[in-house]
Formats: sequence, structure tokens, C-alpha cells
Amino acid sequence: MSSAGTLHGDAAARDPHIPPPTLDRPDDYLHAQSTLRSWFLTTDHKRIALLYLASITAFFVIGAVAAGFVRLALVVPDGAIMTNDTYNKAFTIHGVVMVWFFLIPSIPATFGNFLIPLMIGAKDLAFPKLNLTSWYVFMTGALFTLVAVVLGGVDTGWTFYAPLSTAFSNTWVLPALIGVTIVGFSSILTGLNFVVTIHTMRAPGMTWFRLPIFVWTHYATSLIFLLATPVITLALILLIAERAFHVGVFDPAYGGDPVLFQHLFWFYSHPAVYIMVLPGMGVISEIVPAFAQKKLFGYRFVAYAAIGLASVTFFVWGHHMFVNGQSDLASLAFSALSFAVAVPSAVKVYNWTATIHKGSLRLDTPMLYAMGYIGLFVLGGLTGLYLATLAINQHIHATYFVVAHFHYIMVGGTVLAFLGGLHFWWPKITGRMYSEPWGRISALFIFIGFNVTFFPQFILGYLGMPRRYATYPPEFQLLNVLSSAGSTILAAGYLFPMVYLVHSLWFGRRAPGNPWDAKGLEWETASPPPPHNFAGVPRVPKVPYDYPIQAQETGRQHT
Amino acid sequence: MKAESALALWPPAASAAAVETDHIILGFTVLTLLLTVPVFLAITYFALRYRQGEEADRSTDERRSVLIEISWMLIPYVLTLFFFGWGAKLFIASRHPPPDAMVVEAVGRQWMWKFQHPTGQSEINDLHLPIDQPVRIRITSQDVIHALYLPALRLQIAALPDRTTEIWFKADRTGTYRLYCSEYCGTDHSVMDGNLTLMTQAEYQDWLTHGHAQQSNVAAGRALYESYGCAGCHDGAVAGVKAPGLAGLYGRAVHLADGRTITADADYIRAKILNPNENRLAGGGKQVMPSFRGVIRPDDLDRLVGYLKATDRVAEGAQR
Amino acid sequence: MSAEFIGANPAEPVGVTRAGHFATDAQQRHAATFGMWAWLLTELLLFAGLFLTALILRLLHPEAVQAAAGHLKFWIGAANTVVLLCSSLTMSAAIELSRLGWQRMMVGCLLATASLGALFLMLKGYEYHADYEEQMMPFLARRPYALAEQPATRLFVNLYYVATALHALHLFTGIAILLGLTWKASRPGFLQRHQNWIEVYGLYWHFIDLIWIIAFPVLYVVNR
Ligand code: HEA
Ligand code: HEA
Ligand code: HEC
Ligand code: CUA
Ligand SMILES: [Cu+2]
Repeated sequence: MSSAGTLHGDAAARDPHIPPPTLDRPDDYLHAQSTLRSWFLTTDHKRIALLYLASITAFFVIGAVAAGFVRLALVVPDGAIMTNDTYNKAFTIHGVVMVWFFLIPSIPATFGNFLIPLMIGAKDLAFPKLNLTSWYVFMTGALFTLVAVVLGGVDTGWTFYAPLSTAFSNTWVLPALIGVTIVGFSSILTGLNFVVTIHTMRAPGMTWFRLPIFVWTHYATSLIFLLATPVITLALILLIAERAFHVGVFDPAYGGDPVLFQHLFWFYSHPAVYIMVLPGMGVISEIVPAFAQKKLFGYRFVAYAAIGLASVTFFVWGHHMFVNGQSDLASLAFSALSFAVAVPSAVKVYNWTATIHKGSLRLDTPMLYAMGYIGLFVLGGLTGLYLATLAINQHIHATYFVVAHFHYIMVGGTVLAFLGGLHFWWPKITGRMYSEPWGRISALFIFIGFNVTFFPQFILGYLGMPRRYATYPPEFQLLNVLSSAGSTILAAGYLFPMVYLVHSLWFGRRAPGNPWDAKGLEWETASPPPPHNFAGVPRVPKVPYDYPIQAQETGRQHT
Repeated sequence: MKAESALALWPPAASAAAVETDHIILGFTVLTLLLTVPVFLAITYFALRYRQGEEADRSTDERRSVLIEISWMLIPYVLTLFFFGWGAKLFIASRHPPPDAMVVEAVGRQWMWKFQHPTGQSEINDLHLPIDQPVRIRITSQDVIHALYLPALRLQIAALPDRTTEIWFKADRTGTYRLYCSEYCGTDHSVMDGNLTLMTQAEYQDWLTHGHAQQSNVAAGRALYESYGCAGCHDGAVAGVKAPGLAGLYGRAVHLADGRTITADADYIRAKILNPNENRLAGGGKQVMPSFRGVIRPDDLDRLVGYLKATDRVAEGAQR
Repeated sequence: MSAEFIGANPAEPVGVTRAGHFATDAQQRHAATFGMWAWLLTELLLFAGLFLTALILRLLHPEAVQAAAGHLKFWIGAANTVVLLCSSLTMSAAIELSRLGWQRMMVGCLLATASLGALFLMLKGYEYHADYEEQMMPFLARRPYALAEQPATRLFVNLYYVATALHALHLFTGIAILLGLTWKASRPGFLQRHQNWIEVYGLYWHFIDLIWIIAFPVLYVVNR
């Protein structure tokens, strides 16, 4: 691998406004101070982003080990490896940890925290102390949940449906519920900080339609944080009150209605899936133009699509309850609205494709992840439409088809976007280049491993294998073994980056300010940036993504 | 439909509506391919064609292409709406039973199903039904939320603790298919399953009149035994409760606290379940067994006693 | 912390100290106010869910809810409404005074606000106590519940406790913060540096009032 070095080295030399890389930078945000205190009491958004990065990585590992248990148990149909109880706890921990402690904070709390001020030319987020507080709130919630796990686990599924969770489960539901409630506040604080920052902290000249799409999608995400999280907080508070004091809002034995909980839960959790996917779309919208060296196609449409998604998403929650005694009229409406969500999603996908058209492409690791993302998101999204089709849902609701659907979007989509973003901004965050060949190899492993793991689950689902099944009929064993085998490839693919990225911290080449020749304010400062982000007042471009128009250009030599 | 093989790739369909559901999904898949394959091909082609360093015409005219944007928003959307409509039609139909449908009452509880035929017979976990006859299943739950899933009919419906929901179908293919609980309901969610046997009208009538006796079978009794919590005390799962083991009880001599010794026959067992405070055992500890009078219905009591009669035979088989 | 302390113009008695990451004072004030509004929006949504549930319950089971609501202490609720309205008044006065730079009187108003808040909590506590005496707490397992064991009345009474307890919790936190703020605000030079804290805090206090002003009719009045 030599391309990035020579190529981008001379790119940096050609671009006059990039400061020459200095080899010893005691002044960047990583080295400005080095006491433990300077990390745990920092108010620098970049350091807080790293605190989050470390914590969510730890949670990803916990969630992945739980997934490992799930896949291990499902190698045999009769539950010989694990008791039903252990299995149920494994998938519950997997879902709870992956959703609330990994995926929801993943991109916003790390890249969002790190990049939003840089991208809009601000010195920090509007409320730096609040930002630090949100991390502590997050860790407090995490602690409660870990306590629940250590004491013996929870077996309600990540959806906590009443009355199973309030009256029937004999596991540590209360600490888990409290943990999830607390984490909600951390999301609210992060979202609030982003909204206020984007409204009030933009550098002079940074108008709304000069914002990178990454900022737009985070704005939309933050709106969902603000508008939807309070509802789940309320629902969880009521659930806690019910489990602890028999308040009885959801338990028919006390005059309540269990379906009400489902409504409140999905009113948050459907929008939450856009919390999980919108930031990823933002990452892809940065990577694709940078590696195609071309302006993002249809910028305004893509920006509006983010807001569109964030709005429509509040009106489709009922598609999780088609078979739960919902009225026909409601089902019809929720089904139709779910189809409408596809429109803004389509805008994004087709615009990315059009951006690649006639670009000047480099297939480096971030771009490989981005292309993988597009493919898997499209599959996951369209199978979402299958699920939204009433008659089909009646068959595949709560089967492995659903499991495959959401892993395609959440793992195939968001996790790939997260990894793509991690590689893309790694030089900026750490000042080091990672190993490109290893990057490409692990991207390949993840892509193949992912499909081998989850494609069979579409078939299993249509054949009628219900989800959350510790034991299953023997005729499904072949596909399950295939899926488990795939997950080992996937696990390897996750392991590589953990090793070579960490390795690069000490042994990687020093990164120049703008290793990818990318546009955007974050690339105009040094890598890693100084504590206050910019040496002077940043230069706001006329339009975002002002990549040179590649007329008849033939391009430089690639490897 | 394809024949069933070792690696089945398509589930059997036992009703016209199920076949139609398959048609929807197949049609939708074709459309999906139409919508996605171009994207995938385009990405791959562009990635190769416009690779940096590759000789290519990269001139773009920077047109603001509102028309393109609108068309790729709306065309796929309108196309998919067709499937929304088709799916909705079929779904609504499954909610409105014809008046001549026969009614089966279903009850879910942790972790078993009970089905009651219109003629009064009931069965546990398994369901026998006639084909060519509309069947309406009215379903409720006694504890948490469950859902009845009949994959061969492409149907499922939740069993809610506070109300009754219903679904109907008209099967047209005989055979034995699986039925499941598909809403997560706690520890033994995955064993809350059974068989759906579809048979001709004549076979069904025959089953109702002659086959029902076999229904008080051991497996059904075992499901009841676990569901009503007998196993919790008598198989030692609940800590701190000293309850006598029941394997081999039937036909054995039992010493009672009042000095009598009687043989544990069906009547004794039945009486003990309904009123455990009578016939206290000799040397028994604290009597903690609740009375099941009015809790266990007579037909289930028969099954339970039937199971206890056979319990030595199946005790080890029942160990999970 | 790397705040550049650009002290406000000493000739001007009120102002804010600009934290280093803001470009202008106006930007800082805007951000603070905007942030508080956004927070209050989330809080409003939190309570809205509860009130909505109570109203739906009332529509579905009018008699049962009325029977239960008849036992709520209407006059205590009404008195508390007045108390909170007065506290809003004193809070507004404190804000006005802070703008004028009249620090001592402002501190007096803040203390009055906190005392009114405490009075509210005392009245509320008395009301809870009376409920307890009347056996109106269905969630206390060992205490028989005085009303007919009807699911809807039970549910309504429980919702009443969840909603009022959540509100009381907000008020309690509000008073605690207010006391801390008052302590800081009594120091010399406070208004030169942090006048906008009073403004932003005022929003929160008014919001707590607003919640009660919605809760009172929804729980007490419409069901009479
Ligand atoms: C990041 C997470 C995420 C995202 C983005 C989505 C996106 C979508 N989801 Fe998914 N979903 C989940 C996570 C997610 N989902 C999870 C976790 C569950 C299970 C929860 C549980 O029970 O545990 C679930 C369950 C779920 C169900 C319920 C299944 C059931 O239990 O019965 C349904 C039903 O309608 C559904 C639908 C959709 C739809 C229509 C979209 C749409 O937004 C998709 C839109 C995208 C596209 C359509 C693809 C791109 C577009 C094109 C290529 C253009 C061409 C196409 C057209 C214009 C039509 N989802
Ligand atoms: C961000 C979200 C996220 C992510 C990243 C993942 C990642 C993965 N998930 Fe997860 N999943 C969910 C969110 C997510 N999942 C949710 C919300 C549910 C629903 C839960 C519920 O029903 O309540 C779910 C449910 C779920 C199920 C269904 C369980 C059931 O219904 O019974 C399965 C089954 O295969 C599964 C598998 C996997 C796998 C193989 C991965 C892989 O990507 C992970 C890769 C890692 C490994 C393969 C293991 C690595 C570990 C080791 C190498 C250690 C090995 C240790 C031992 C074997 C002891 N997931
Ligand atoms: C809470 C614990 C508990 C549960 C639940 C329970 N039992 Fe018992 N059972 C006991 C105890 C204790 C005794 C001994 C009673 C005595 O001392 O007279 C007993 C006695 C019996 C006996 C008589 C045993 C003998 O040796 O003669 C039978 C039969 C029986 N139970 C059946 C059942 C069945 C069937 C169920 C479920 C429907 C059930 N029990 C549920 C605790 C329980
Ligand atoms: Cu019953 Cu799952
Ligand atoms: Cu959804």
C-alpha cells in the first residue's frame, strides 16, 4: 500500500491552505494535557467523543459476545447447548446492549460529537459541560444495566412487553429498566446540545444550505432524540412503577392495557430506528463524494430527505402491531405510511449512486464500507417494505425474517457506516494512518460474513421459524448452522480493525491534515486538531462538497 | 409448491390465501429485483469504469435535475403501492369471517395452547381441523401475550390477556403442519408449539367421535402439569417447598396423617388436586399446595390424572 | 477550563461572562435560552403522555373516574394553584429586577419564590397524608383501598399519583437549584457575570407552574 502516502502527501503539498504536517505536535487536543483528570473532566467535545468511542466499543464487545452465545446455542435444534433460560437472557442482553448502549449512541455520540463543531466551524458544542454530563449519565445507565446482567440477567427481550416484564418475569428487570431510562436522558442531552449548536454556533457564512449532509442528518436525529425519547422515558417510568408498586397502567389485572405499552414503546422505538440509521446516512454522504471526488448529487434533496425521514417516522409505529389486535383502519394507515418512508430513503440511495457516476473513484477502505452499506441497506430497507405489507406481515411477523431485516439495516447498514466513518476520520481523530490492506481485507470479511450469517435468516423466516426460539424444529438446522458459521467469519472481520487500528496509534504513519483530498471544514485544520479546533477563523466554502469538476480528466495513477 | 426436501426452501401452503400470500411475496421480489439490481449493477459498473486513473469521460453538465429526483422518488413508490393494496386486501379478508364459519376457541397460557372445538371437545397444543370449511379461531390469553402462528396458512394472531382477537381461514390441503407461539412469552416460549392436522370432513367427524379419547394423552397432561405449576413444587424446581415426588405414585399405597393407608387411585389423585387439605399425608410438612378447584377445568383434570397415571413411564422422557 | 474571561463592561451593571467557545455575548445568550426551551419541550412531552392517558381513561370510563376524582382534595389543589401562580409572579419580578441590576431585591424575590415552592410541597404532602388516612392509595399492598375495586378508578388514582409525584419531583429539584442559584446570586458582582442564569432559570420555573396548571384541571376539575 503506497497510494495513500505519496498521493495524499503531494495532494497536501498542492493545496496551499493546508498547514504542512508537523511531526511533533504537542499542541493537538490529544497531547495538550495528559493527566487522567484531563480526560475524565474534559469539556473538549473531541475528548468526550473519544470517551464515548471507548465505552461503546466495550459495549459492542459485550453485545457481540452475547450474539456469540445466541449463535452457538442455535447450532443444535434441541437446546442441548444452553437451557431455554440462558438463551433468553443471552438474546435479551444482546438486544438491550446493542440497541441502547451501542447503536443509538454510536455515530452521534462519537463522530457527531467530534465533527459537528469542526464541520460548522465552531470551537465547541454550545454546552460543553452538559456534553460531559451526558457521558456520565450514559455510564450511570450502563452501570445499572451491567448490574442487572451480573446479578443474573434479564429475559424479557429488548422490547420489555408488559405484562411479561411487569408481573411474570422473575429476572432483574428493574435495574435493567432503570438503566435504559437513564440512558434516555443521555440521548436527550446529546440531542439538545446538537440542536442548539447547529442553530446558534455556525461560523459566519455557514448558512443552512452550506452545512454538510452529516450535520443535516444529525440535526434530524437530534430532533428525534428530543421529541421521541421523552415518550419512552414515560413508558419506562410507568413500567417501573408498575413492576415495583403495581400501578397497573399496562396490566389487565389492574385495569390497564398491555397494548398501550406497545404503542408507547414503538412510538419511540420506531423513530429510534431512524436515530440509528440517519447518522449512518450522514457518514455515507461524506464518504461517497470524497472518494468519488465529485459533488454530492442532489444536495438539497438529500438534506430535505433527512428531515422528511425524521418527520414521517413518527407516524408508522403501528407497523409493529399489525397482528396484535389493532383495528383494521389503523393497520391500513400504518402500512400505507410505512411505504411512504421508502421515498426519502430512495432519494438517498439513488443520489449516492448518481454521485459515483462520472466521478474519479478510489476504492479505499471507507469507500468499500460505503458501497457495502448501500447494498445492504437497500436489501434491509426493501424487506422492511415486505414486512409493512399487511398480508405478508401476517406470515413473517416475529419470525427470523424480521431478525434478518433489522440486522441488514442495523449491522449491514449502520455498523458498516460506523466502521466506514471510523476509517475515514481515523487520521483526523488520531493523527495516524491505519493499514490500508488490512482495512480492505476486514471490510471483505465483514461483507461476506455478514451475508452468510443473515441471508439464511430470510429463508428461515419465510419457512416459518419464529424468533426468540431457544429450540426449533430439526428441519431448520442446516440453515441455522450456516448462519452460525457465517457469524464466525463476521467475528473475525470485527476483530481485525480492533487490532490494526489500535496498532496504528503507535506505529501508523503520521496523517496529513487532509489525507483524502476531501472537502469540508474538518479537513482544513491539522490532524489531530488543536484544542480549539481551528488556528484562525475557518474559511466557509460557497457550497458544500465543492470538489473540482472533473472535466476530461484522466486521473492520477493509482496503485 | 415444491416438494419437501432435506433443505426446504419454501414452506407448504395449505389454503388459497396462503398461496396468494406467496404470490404477493414473489411478485414483490420481482419488483425488488427491478429496483435494486440496477442500483447494484450501476455501483459496480461506475466503481470500475470511473476508478481513479481510468480513462473515462467525466464531463457532467451540472444540471439541477429535479425531474430525475422526482421520478426516482415517485416511480418506485407507485409501483410498490400496488403491493400495499394487494396485501391490504388479503389482510382485510382474513379479518372478516363468513357467517358459516365454525368457531374454535383458543386459549394461550404459559406455556401451552388449549383449543376447544364447537362440539365441546378440547385438545392441548395440537389442533385438528377439517379442510374445505371456513374456521374461525377466537383467541385469548390467561397470562402474558402470546401469538398463535400457523405457517402453513400464513397466519398469525396475538393472544391478549384482556380481550379476544380472531382470525379465520379455509384450508384446502390435508396434512400435518406445525403451529407455534410466536410472541415471546418467557422461559418456555420455544416449546409452546404443536401440530396442526388438517383432514377431510369425514376424517374430522371420525376424529371428534372416536379420536377424542386419545386426546387425554400423556403429552397434553405433561403440558398442563408444567403450565399449572405442579412441576415447580413436585419436581423440586421451587426452592424451599417439600412436595412429594409424583413419579410412580399411581397405584402405590399412601400413608395419611390420620393413620389410614389408601391406594393412590385416580379418584384419590383427583381429590387431592381439588382439595389438598383433605387426606393430609403422614409426616407431611407444611401444607402449601393450593387448591385447584375451579381453576383446572374437568377435561384438563382428566388429562392431568392421565399423565400422573403414566408418569413413571414418561418421567425421564419429560425431563428437559 | 479555557474560558476567556471577557468581563462585562464595568460601567454596565448586568451582563454575562462569555465562555471561550462562544464568539459573541448574544450568541451565548441565544444558545442558553434556546437550550432551555428545547429541554422544556422534552419535559412537556413527558407529561403530555400522562395527561393524555388520564383524559382517555376519563372518556372511556366517565363514572369510575368521577367516583375516584371525587376523593381528590379539590381545595388543596386550588390553593396550590394559587401558590404556584404567586411564585411565578415573584419569579418574574426577580427577572425584571435582575435586568435592572437591583441585586438585593432580586435575591429577596428569589427567596420568596423558593418559599412559595416549598409551601406547595407542604400542602401537597398534607394532601398525600390525607389520602393515606382515607385509604386512597391502591398501590400500598397491605393497606385496603377504600374505593370499589374497579380497575378504572384504581388506574385513575394511580395515574394521579404518578403525575403529581413526577411534578413534585420537578418542583423539588427546582427548589434545590433555586436555592443554590440564590446563594450564588447574593454574591457581589453576580449580575455583571451571570445575569442570564436568572432568565434561563425563570423559564424552568414557569414551566413547572405550567405543568401544574395543566394537571389541576385535567385531574381535579374536569372530573368533578
Ligand atoms: C436502523 C434500523 C431500522 C430501519 C432503518 C428500519 C426501516 C424500516 N423498517 Fe424496520 N425494524 C427494525 C429496524 C429498522 N427498520 C427493527 C429493530 C425491527 C424489529 C423490532 C423488534 O420487534 O424487535 C424492525 C421491524 C420492522 C417491522 C415489524 C416487523 C414485525 O415484527 O412484524 C416492519 C413492518 O412494517 C418494518 C418496516 C420497516 C420499513 C418499511 C422501513 C423503511 O424505513 C425502509 C426504507 C428503505 C428502503 C425502502 C430501501 C431504499 C430504497 C430504495 C432502494 C428505493 C426503491 C424503493 C422504493 C421507493 C419503494 N420494520
Ligand atoms: C446494533 C444492533 C445489533 C448488532 C450489531 C447485532 C449483531 C449480531 N446479531 Fe443481533 N439483534 C439485535 C441487534 C443487533 N445484533 C436486536 C435488537 C435483536 C433482538 C433482540 C430481541 O429479540 O429482544 C437481535 C437478535 C439477534 C438474533 C435473534 C435471537 C432470537 O430471536 O432468538 C440473532 C440470531 O442469530 C442475532 C445475531 C447477531 C449476530 C450474529 C450479530 C453479529 O453481527 C455479531 C458478531 C459477533 C459475533 C459473531 C460474536 C463474537 C464473539 C465471540 C467470538 C465470542 C464468542 C463467545 C462465545 C461463543 C461464548 N441477533
Ligand atoms: C405450592 C406447591 C405445590 C403445587 C403448585 C402443587 N402441589 Fe401437589 N403437593 C404439594 C404438597 C406440599 C403436597 C403434600 C400435601 C400433604 O402434605 O398433604 C402435595 C401433594 C400432592 C399429591 C398427593 C401426593 C401423594 O404422595 O399422595 C398430588 C397427587 C399432588 N400434590 C398433585 C399436584 C398437581 C397435579 C398439581 C398441579 C395441578 C400440584 N400438585 C401442585 C405442593 C404443591
Ligand atoms: Cu407463548 Cu410465546
Ligand atoms: Cu418500525
